[in-house]
Amino acid sequence: MYVKKECIAMLLAGGQGSRLYDLTKQIAKPAVSFGGKYKIIDFPLSNCINSGIDTVGVLTQYQPLALNEYVANGAPWDLDRMRGGLTVLPPYQGNKNSEWYKGTANAIYQNINFIKQYNPDYVLILSGDHIYRMDYKLMLEQHKKTGAVCTVATITVPIEEASRFGICNTNFDGSIYEFEEKPKVPKNNQASMGIYIFNTKTLIEYLEADEADENSSNDFGKNIIPNLLHNGEKLYSYKFEGYWKDVGTISSLWEANMDLIGDEPVINLGDQHKRIYSKNTARPPQYIGPKAKVKNSLISEGSRIFGTVENSVLSGGVVVEAGAIVKDSVIMDDVVIKKGAAVYSAIVDADSVIEAGQTVGVENAPKDNITVIASGSIVAN
Amino acid sequence: MAISAAGIIFSSLNNNTHSRLTGDRTVAAIPFACRYRLIDFALSNLVNANISNINIVANYNYRSLLEHIGSGKDWDLARRGGGVKLISPFQTAVNADSKMFTTRMEALKNMKEYISEFKEEFVVMMDSDTVLNIDIADVIKKHEKTGAAITIVTQSLKPGAVMKTPRMMISSVAGRVTDIAMDQAYNERNPEISLNIFVMKTSYLKLLIEEAEAYNLGSLTSFMLKNCKSESYRTYKYSGYVASIYSFNDYYAHSMELVKSEKARDSIFGKKEFPIFTRVHNSAPTAHKSSAVVENSMIADECTIEGTVINSVIFRDVVIEKGAVVKNSVLFHGTHIGKNANLNCIVTDKDVFVTDGVTLSGNDNMPFYINKKAKI
Repeated sequence: MYVKKECIAMLLAGGQGSRLYDLTKQIAKPAVSFGGKYKIIDFPLSNCINSGIDTVGVLTQYQPLALNEYVANGAPWDLDRMRGGLTVLPPYQGNKNSEWYKGTANAIYQNINFIKQYNPDYVLILSGDHIYRMDYKLMLEQHKKTGAVCTVATITVPIEEASRFGICNTNFDGSIYEFEEKPKVPKNNQASMGIYIFNTKTLIEYLEADEADENSSNDFGKNIIPNLLHNGEKLYSYKFEGYWKDVGTISSLWEANMDLIGDEPVINLGDQHKRIYSKNTARPPQYIGPKAKVKNSLISEGSRIFGTVENSVLSGGVVVEAGAIVKDSVIMDDVVIKKGAAVYSAIVDADSVIEAGQTVGVENAPKDNITVIASGSIVAN
Repeated sequence: MAISAAGIIFSSLNNNTHSRLTGDRTVAAIPFACRYRLIDFALSNLVNANISNINIVANYNYRSLLEHIGSGKDWDLARRGGGVKLISPFQTAVNADSKMFTTRMEALKNMKEYISEFKEEFVVMMDSDTVLNIDIADVIKKHEKTGAAITIVTQSLKPGAVMKTPRMMISSVAGRVTDIAMDQAYNERNPEISLNIFVMKTSYLKLLIEEAEAYNLGSLTSFMLKNCKSESYRTYKYSGYVASIYSFNDYYAHSMELVKSEKARDSIFGKKEFPIFTRVHNSAPTAHKSSAVVENSMIADECTIEGTVINSVIFRDVVIEKGAVVKNSVLFHGTHIGKNANLNCIVTDKDVFVTDGVTLSGNDNMPFYINKKAKI
């Protein structure tokens, strides 16, 4: 027996994140570590619970092991519920057909039965690729007020970057008259954030039509949204103001981590009103040694610092030995940086060891020249 | 082979000796080492030995303990069968004058019916004011092998050591207990103190309670003293770091030792297969700002440090503003240290607010304690 929910969320977490190279060789992009103790997927999941959405389907596909284990029953986000809660939705074998998720729309289409169980009035579509804090409740309120069948969240991007995004061309009242996926000559700079609220009935209707169309690439941005507009449906944009970052590339992931530090950080994770939840570990407190120098950095539980750490974000259980230097870098769980080693402008993935005296990266490197060390590496002579 | 053992933790036998720290919490709930409560150590020791029927004997002021333990989920003790339970004193129609437990034996007598339902073969009893990370499974294994009636975990002391508080002193010959005494200034060639970890068969515990009732024995010590010549009681010598916290001064001294001694930290936190579990909070990593200077300190999550911190233990969600200097101090959860304030040898309880420019100082052997929520 399922209880009716007003709005449920479907979180697309199958992305490979191929532009993160070594960081996503063995894990899906939403499972990539961020900000010391988080993973990218913590952000949309925490937004859900902070917005009063307690039913979330997480669609996984690429390298799901780490992700499945991480989200498990949803307990860290208070999503382990008797009714609703978090459900992992991998591609499955049916008695007629079985296939991988072909595109974002197809992934949702294959889980229409999951949606129907809760008989929701609205479905919120999310992706697991972005760092942002958003109250989806406000977006839902606008969606109800305008009477739209679909609302697309948008954010203002620099016009010169607009051609990388799906651009919403809107009327004065915020209604969308045109949606252009990665236009060569963008008409404005309101980019789609890949966050949609649909009336359930309309969503299912369009997903079924899209599935029947053999020429479709089964994608929300390329097919579903343009089809809705083509048929004269009422679409509105919801302008989001606040921090939002696509962390799909090494430089943007590094940059987003750097946004967390500084005396007045661009995004403050310590904000207790918009808490980001994550799985918490049983690590001891951090220990800062007698000759350590730690400045302008985030340090997580279980880390032991005897050397110098500057402008960096350190995850749990990291060891920086005496005389070692870590600068402008992101160091993930349980990395050991031995005596006299130096790490500059780098992302060092979990469980790596930088042997004594070794140097990783280039000091003061520009953001498009960040060094990446894959997980479990040993950097030695 | 899984060990079949139940655990009993006594949470508050020495509540009165800590006075200041136990103003509104039981001993077991005293915050320690940045993110723990004293009970976490005994609980984790038992959990790491795969013991999943754990009973915490509570006496008074156990609200914060209840809140800390919750369902036991954070220790993986939220189980359908067993798990963690709080045993509180209770009054019945026929026993309306039941008092608080002052000894282990009183609590055990009170729990007699309950213990009679234990299905586990062994029982491990621990106190919550002894901080250590011991392999309990090994203690049980040795206990089984020697066939002792009771195994007592002990720690050797330096000859001539003087105890500040009365402790159960054990004399043993080749591991066999020959004498037991309660003495404050005990001088012997090979002094051993009891760490108050007792292992015995559940069936023996049942007999023990009955005999104590029959002979009106008020404490476990008196029971063991009566029987140690005729029964086989053995010691298990533990050589790792132990913080026995019986007073506010003990508390401060051991907090400082954790900061200063790598050996102590390693003994408690350095055993990967024996993690110390605690109630987890959703807190952000600690931010060391550009003006921060931190030396030789332990720091929990979600702190903001702009000032100087030396030889200190900093709990969760503490703010230390620019120009402030904190030395040799222990700052509990939510402490706020204003700009240019100066602290030396201070223990602040939860949510203390020290305004800008204030200077506070205690002494190494006379640390200064500041009440919960005080504003200075």
